[in-house]
This record gives sequence, C-alpha cells and structure tokens, in this order.
Amino acid sequence: MSQGETDPGSSANRQPQPEGYLGPEETHSGAEAEGGVVGSGGRGKIDGRRRITGEARFVDDLSLPRMAHCKVLRSPYAHARILSIDTQPALAMDGVLAVVTGPDLPVRHGAIPVAQDETALAVDKVRYVGEPVACVCATTEELAWEAARRVRVVYEVLEPVLSIEEALDPESPVIHDWRRKKSNVLRRVRQAFGDVDAAMAEADLVLEEEYDYPGSTHVPLETHAALAVPSEDDRLTVYSSTQNPHYMHRTLARVLGLEQSRIRLVKPDVGAGYGGKCDTFVTDICAAHCARLLGRPVKFVLEREEVFYAHRGRHRTRMWLKVGMKADGTITAIDFEAWAEGGAYASYGVVTAYYLGVFGTLPYQLEHYRFTTWRVYTNHPPCGPKRGHGALQPRFALELHLDRMWKELGLDPVAQRVRQCVEPDTETVNGLRVTSVGLEQCLKRVTEASHYAAQAGKLPPGKGIGLAASVYMCGALHPVYQNEMPHSGVQLKVDRSGLVTIFSGTADVGQGSNHMLACLVAERLGIRPEDCVVVEADSDLTPVDLGSYSSRVTFMAGNAALQAADRVRAVLFRHAAAKLEAREEELVAADGFICVDREPGRRLAFADAVELAESVEGTLGATGSYRPPKIGNRFRRQSVGPSPSYSFTAQVAEVTVDEETGEITVDRVWCAHDLGRVLHPEIAEGQVEGCVYMGVGEALLEEQAYRRDGTLLAPSILEYRIPTVYDTPEIHALLVESHDPEGPFGAKEVGEGPQLSTVPAIAAAIHDAVGIWLTAPPFTPEKVLRALKKRDRSRSQPRPAGPGHTHLELLR
Amino acid sequence: MLPLPPFALERPDTLRDLVVLAAVPDSKLLAGGTDLLPSMKHRLFAPRRLVSLARVSELHGIVESNGQLGIGAAETLRSVRRNRLVQEALPALADACATVATSTIQATATLGGNLMLDTRCAFYNQPQGWRDSIGGCLKAEGSVCHVARTGDGCYAAHSADTVPALWLYAAEVELHGPSGHRRVPLQALYDPTDGRDWLRSEPGEVLTRVWVPLGRSAVVHRKVRRRGAIDYGALLVAVRAEGMGASAVVSAVGPAPVEVVAEAAHDLPERAWEAVKPLNTHVVSTSWRRHMVRVTVRRALDAAQARG
Repeated sequence: MSQGETDPGSSANRQPQPEGYLGPEETHSGAEAEGGVVGSGGRGKIDGRRRITGEARFVDDLSLPRMAHCKVLRSPYAHARILSIDTQPALAMDGVLAVVTGPDLPVRHGAIPVAQDETALAVDKVRYVGEPVACVCATTEELAWEAARRVRVVYEVLEPVLSIEEALDPESPVIHDWRRKKSNVLRRVRQAFGDVDAAMAEADLVLEEEYDYPGSTHVPLETHAALAVPSEDDRLTVYSSTQNPHYMHRTLARVLGLEQSRIRLVKPDVGAGYGGKCDTFVTDICAAHCARLLGRPVKFVLEREEVFYAHRGRHRTRMWLKVGMKADGTITAIDFEAWAEGGAYASYGVVTAYYLGVFGTLPYQLEHYRFTTWRVYTNHPPCGPKRGHGALQPRFALELHLDRMWKELGLDPVAQRVRQCVEPDTETVNGLRVTSVGLEQCLKRVTEASHYAAQAGKLPPGKGIGLAASVYMCGALHPVYQNEMPHSGVQLKVDRSGLVTIFSGTADVGQGSNHMLACLVAERLGIRPEDCVVVEADSDLTPVDLGSYSSRVTFMAGNAALQAADRVRAVLFRHAAAKLEAREEELVAADGFICVDREPGRRLAFADAVELAESVEGTLGATGSYRPPKIGNRFRRQSVGPSPSYSFTAQVAEVTVDEETGEITVDRVWCAHDLGRVLHPEIAEGQVEGCVYMGVGEALLEEQAYRRDGTLLAPSILEYRIPTVYDTPEIHALLVESHDPEGPFGAKEVGEGPQLSTVPAIAAAIHDAVGIWLTAPPFTPEKVLRALKKRDRSRSQPRPAGPGHTHLELLR
Repeated sequence: MLPLPPFALERPDTLRDLVVLAAVPDSKLLAGGTDLLPSMKHRLFAPRRLVSLARVSELHGIVESNGQLGIGAAETLRSVRRNRLVQEALPALADACATVATSTIQATATLGGNLMLDTRCAFYNQPQGWRDSIGGCLKAEGSVCHVARTGDGCYAAHSADTVPALWLYAAEVELHGPSGHRRVPLQALYDPTDGRDWLRSEPGEVLTRVWVPLGRSAVVHRKVRRRGAIDYGALLVAVRAEGMGASAVVSAVGPAPVEVVAEAAHDLPERAWEAVKPLNTHVVSTSWRRHMVRVTVRRALDAAQARG
C-alpha cells in the first residue's frame, strides 16, 4: 500500500475513541453579548477608512533609499531541460547589480512538508511556460526588466505532460524525475466506509455521471509583491503580500539558511488573496536573497501577467459520481472518484486530494461512502487553494446529482435536503464531528425569500430557479507541520490611556479579521472596536497565528482573542468590584464602563478601571491562545479534513437563458449562510456577496485555460474574464445563526463556505429554465447551445436518453 | 507595472506642426492612449516619438454645418456619447461609444483613436513573454500566423466599436497630411487584405475630423461580447433598414469590416451569415461568433425596422 492510502477495510476495524473530547481552552462562546458590539451593524471596519481614502500601505507603496528591483526571465517551454544559462549579457548592463539563477537557491520548499518540490528559480528543468528561470536585480524596475530579457538560456525541449490522461499514462515522461516515486501522481487517497456495493444494490435509483470542473484563478487586485530590507544587526525584514506569514517565515528561513529569529516578516496591507497568496513565491525568496547579497533594500512586484503564472488556483477536476437512492429519496450510498490536475508543483495539492473526498459525508446523513482521488502533476502553472479549496468541485457534482435524482423521483429537493440533513452533535461515518447545524434554517430562509416553491418548474420559458446546499470547514484541526503549539495566539496591552492594543499574527487581507479581533475584545471589555488598535502579522511583535487559510481565523484567532480579553476582564473586574462594593458576578462591561447591573450611578469608566488595576497589579496585559480539540484520530490519515466546526449554506439562483444565443444571465441569488453568530453584519454580508460573485464568475465566465502547447490562453484580466458589475446578479445575503458551542460567541466561518453552492444552484436553475443538465462549468454560450441541440434531438427520439455520459437506471 | 519603452513626447500646438511631426519616421500619434500605451507595454511596437494631439484645436469640438455633424478626432467617446445632436440624430453612434471598454476609458479614449484602432488578435495583443513562448506573432515579430498557419497573411481583426455605425451613417473622414488635405468615405480608410497593413492612409496623415450627415437613417448598433463591459467585441454589428431593403456592417471578423446588402430586408441575416466567416482571432469561441452573426444581424434588423 503506497503512502497516503487508507485501507478500504480499515473502517471495519476502527480504533476506539481517543482520549476523549478535549475542548478548546477557556473559550467564552456561550457568554452573553453584553457589550452591545457583537452583532451590531452600522459601524464601519476599524481599518476601513484608510483603505477607502488610499492611506493603506501595500508593498508597492513602500519605498526606501537605495532600493533595488527584481524581475525574472521566465520559461517559454512547458517542459525542458536547462542546458546552460549565460547571465553575462545582463550583468554587463550598467545598473544591473546581480543575476540569480536556480542553483543559487537550491533548497526545495513547498507549502506541505511532505511534498516540498519547488525552488524559487528553476533548477535543471523547467516544468511550465512562465516558470521563473533567472532573476535580475537592478537599480530600476525598467532596467531589471530589460536585463532579464538578455539572459541567454539554452534548453533541451522535453515532451510535455498536459492533461490528466497524460499524467496517468505510465508511458509519459516523469515531471519530477528526482522523486523516489517515478510517477506523475502526487497523491492518491482512497477511503471507504460502510458497504457501498451492498447499499448501492439496495437502491431503487442509481445515477452515474461524469463532471468536469474547470481550473480558475484568484485575480487578487494586488499582485504578489515583496520588499526585503537588510539591517545592520545582520537581520532581514521582509514585507510581503501574503495570507500566511507564519508558514512563509519558516520557508524563508529554510531556503535562505537563516535562523527564523534573524528574519522579521511583516505583512502590510494586502489587496486580497482568495487562497492565491498562501505559498511562498519567487518574489519573497528572490527579494530576500538579493537584499542579503547586496546589502540594500530590494523590491520585487509581479506584473499582472505573472500572477497567472504564480497561479495556485483551483484544480481542474474531472469527477465520476455514482449515487444510490431509495424511492423515498433517501441516499443509500455514494461512490466517488476525482482526478485533480495540479500543474507542475505540489503546493497544497496533498491537502486538495483529501478535501476532494472527505466532505462527501456532509451535509446529508450517509452510512456508505467510498472515494478515490488523485492529484497529478502536469506541465502547467501550479494549482493550489482557491476559496472553497478542493471541496467546491465535488460539491458542485454532488448537489447537482442529488437535485436531479430527487426531481427524477418526483420528490421535493428542499424537503429531502431538510429531512436528510445531519443532526447537531453527531459524527459522520468518516469521523467528522458535527456540532452546530443551521442548514434547515438556511433552506427555510432562502426558499421563503425567493418564493422558491411557487416558482420552481413554473416560470415562463427561458426563466429558471435552482437551489443547492453546501458545507464548509472552520479551519483545519492540524497545522501543515506537526506540533502541539497553539494555532492562534493573541496578546493584549492595556494601559491607563484606555487604549487596548491587540497583537495578533493573523493576516487581514481585506476580509476584516482585524475588525473581528477588535470586535471580540471590545465586546468583552465594554468598549468600542475603535478604542482598540490591532497590530498584526509582524513576527517581531505579534504571537504566531497560522494564517488566513481554511476559513480558520474567526474561529481560532477569535477564540484566542476572547481568552486574552477575558483574562484582562477578570483583573479589571476584580478591582472594579472592590471599588464599587459589588460582587464580580454583578458587573457588566458595556458602553465604555464597568458597572453594577447597568446602574448608572455605580460605574467606573474603562480607563479608570484600568488605572485602578494598573496601580495595584503593575503593567497590565494578557495572552490568549487557541488549539483545536483533539478529535478525529479514529483511523489513519484522517488528519486532513476534520475541523472543529462546519458552516452550512443554502442558496437559490434565478436565471434567464437565451435559447437562441446560448447566453445565460444570473438575475438574482439568495444566499443564506449559517455562520454560527453574526459578529458584524455588514462584513459578513460582504463575504457572502463576494462568494456569490466569485461563484457566478466560475459558473459563467472564468477558466484558466491552456493551448495545446501548454501556454496559457490569455494571461490577462482583459481575456481572463471575471464578472463586471453588469454580470453580477442582485445578491441577497441572509445570515443564519446556529450558535456554535465552541466558536467565539458562537461564530463560524463566512469567508469561503457561501461560494460552494453558487455554481450548482445556477446549474439547477438552468435545468429549470430549459431542461438541460450542464456538467462542466463555465456554462458558456457554445456549451449551452450544444446541450440544447442534444435536448431537442433526444426529445424527437422515441426513447429519451439523458445528457452526457449518464447511465440512468430505474431499478424496480 | 510593465515598463513603457522609452520615447520622446511631442506636443504641437498647431495642425501644421502636427502634420510635420507626424511625418517624421518612427513616430506614432497619441490621442487618449488607452490602446496605444498598453500595446507599447506589450512591446508590439516601440516608436521613438509620440506626437500628442491634445493641443491642436482643429481636432476638437463638435459642430453642425450644412446638415452634417463634424466631430473632432480628439473628442472623447464620452463627449461624443453625451452630445445632444449625436443622441438625437445618431443614436447608434452614441450606443457604440457607450459599449467601449468602461466609462473611465470612454472619458479618455477619443473618436479618432477608435477609428484608427490597431487590428487585434488573441495571438497579437499579448505580453512579449507570452508571444516568445509561441514563437512570435506574424503581426508583431514572428514568421508564422497562428490563426492560419498555412497562409502568409495576417487576420488580425478590425475592432473599432464606432466604425460599423458610422459606416452606415455614411460618415466621411477628413485627413491632413504632408501632401495636403482630403476627405473620403470612412470605408475607404480600411483595407481588408492584411491585418498588418489595414489602413489606407499616407505616412504622416492625421485624421482630424469625422463628418456625419444628420439624416434620419435607422441604424442600430449591437456588440457581442461575454461581459457587460470592458471586453472588445467578439462581433460588432450595425444594421440599417431602408425601405424594403437593409444593410449590415459586421466587424471584429477580419482586417476590415464587412458590408452586406440585401434588397429584401429579411434576407439580410442569411446574407450576413454567408458573407462573414469569423476566424480564430479571439479567445471567445469561433463557432459561437459565427452562430451569433445571423442572430445578431436579425435582432439588430428587427430593432432598426422598429426604429425606422
């Protein structure tokens, strides 16, 4: 059995429950929101104004004396051996300070320690068109660009591997020929639970279908950028546009051969990531290397075109899905296979392979489940995590598939979803511990708001309405490198000025995590978020946080912030109680005061309470940390997938299909998301809207597509089409609270989950409108026209055949 | 940001100086720059000199004279679109201006710049590094056309949004050059034979003004694209209904727009579909663009007949 596999039989000999549930430490999720901050709207983000007024400082806004600039020469070939590199023509240019090539930075790195396969610049081989080969550092950006183009590289062109089929073909060249495993399969995961074959045989309806979900990329408005500054004390400061400063900190230390403590990693304002800035990039490593080499500040900002090469976007995923169902709509078994095309390097691909499979047991009750997933290497830019990482493609397939089956059986897909939804405080067959579940409420809210029942199947020709549901995680139980330390740490400084400074390693990339921290701390201390200052993501100043990935920040850093706030609160209450001659339990922190049962006469202003405590205790401060509970070790390799909690979503899309042109318009989307508890309504709604927006893009427009030679079809935001405001539907964000027992004040994630059901809801709406099941987004006009033609042909035939590769069997 | 290749900027004040400077070899005219500058960043060309039209008064202003509207070439698409006479008498031109890119670009881009817009292709309008990886594009630096590898011509597509409508409004253009001044029908400006050499203008000639008769012809403009903004046309269509007949100008399908005339209006969509053969010059599907010729011409015809 090769690495990464789980014996399908292992479910039979499950290990007993581990040491039992160890809940997170001292969280206060159950506490009353007495401070009037949690859940109250009408307040802007604490750092919103600086973004709107242009005061925000992104890496490219930072400029220092003697600053030099990097640019790279990239590979024109998808797969080639580097025979020689002549850097002399570039070095000879006036103003060129250094030319760096792969062998100068030979340490392999990568997001996941078991799959570290990339270098900042290609060593020996290039593996995709656009891979960085040589980096020039010069006194100006223009000069660096000119000089990079003068570096001469001699290649021996190799046969490229450009599809999943080619990657799986044992005759194909091996892209990473240095690996022990001579194969283009990075990881295969196979897990089985229950008896899928027997359960399938008992089904009344079995549907088998293939799906093909396209690759897509993130398109953050800010391109990847880094500025590295050496200092006299032999330390290096790196400012990077990143989502995961902590992992990058470790990577830079490893690649540069430096102690981690010699590097100060700072994340300034970041113009979004969506998962595209979770890795360490050529910008970070080359800027850092050149800064040390030259003893001067070095900046490296990617061009827009280059962001398409840095990629780490959604894996194109081909899927085969077979579901068995009873005549009453009960799902008996799910059998699933998926092949993810990963591009030239691993990035988070090992995790992708798991995420493609492990969430199949949610949100519907299921006893019999089996999946096999492959994540393969190809000669394309590397894929990685994009909003809804790995879980989104199978969700599209499964939701569409179930909707189709329930409709086939003449059942109400909404009622079926409600009936079969997992119960709170249960565990799935593959060991996912479910706590709070708000799906039923989500379904109720969206169907009521959209008048789904009155419209489904009853709209005029060309108009359709569709529904889908989904589930997502709130952070991963395990960090990418094994350790027992907290996933999130928060430190508070409180002093007589009344100001509360929150130090946190989290990376706000625009999603609002700074406001989230301020909101939670302010709530517990009875002050306003604006009374807090957040110092984030500076490794010299802030405690470690694992970063903005897997929708973990609110749940994990939020709990850490709460713990720290409660420790400060306890000290303040102790001294306030004495002063106010009250018991600590009688005290309430709200509106800037600590008061007795909200009596106006018996209260102490927050700053006075701090002064009182500081006078007795000395300098005040507290730390808080979050470590997920130890759950989910029931069988081997289950370390990827489990989360301390899950969020749920239901959404309804309304579309218009022009049968003559094949064009689809998404008119309206209602998206109800169970985020546990609303901390800040506008930010939460913004996240829901952003998810729907990206979902619409993937449904109709976006595809990271390649030519037959491996070249990107168009590395530009002119031809890679993200929706404009004219293509964006009217979005109704509905927030559902299920009060998670472990989330901060009951809160769960809202940054990714809402996107997972957008595309299947649109696909279901298209079926409602014109009677075609589209299995391969984006739903372009030519695909729609082709499917309509097929529909018309099959209607004119006596025995209608389903679209696609369907084998629809009604077993009675 | 991609660096611009170095260039000298000339800013003449008079039409005479402009014509002299425009005739200097290795110069290009700079109006709004919304297409020129990105193309220079892509190193499609790197002229030594850019000659700005901004200060030459003859290129500005929208005037009515003898039943004709004279629009200065340096007028922005926004000012054209917002002009009362254009809105009343030439609504298809206003529509065409409103479909160019985005409102911010319309505020910078000029009508003259649109008429002189370089032909476009999915293999040409790409960054230099990308073109290197496909061995170069025939129009830029290569020896092979990736649209039609067997031919020796360039098929880059005429993509000026305002041209089909102006063509059917029977617009004329005024040009000033070293050898004098001329006024020709708009369509005489464009050469359909090769996407590299698509303009029939003399070296150094400057388009100064567009003249459009203020008739009451029922012209309708339609732009086919995947998004509601930003995109260049996958197809550009204008249709004019006149009595029993109708004509169409279809663009974004080759180096010059294609005119189709039908004596019986209802034949127009089929005629257009037969006459217009889109090639693989766009990222958008060629077969869908071909399908859309007939659909779009028919829909535009319906609208034109309703308007007339």
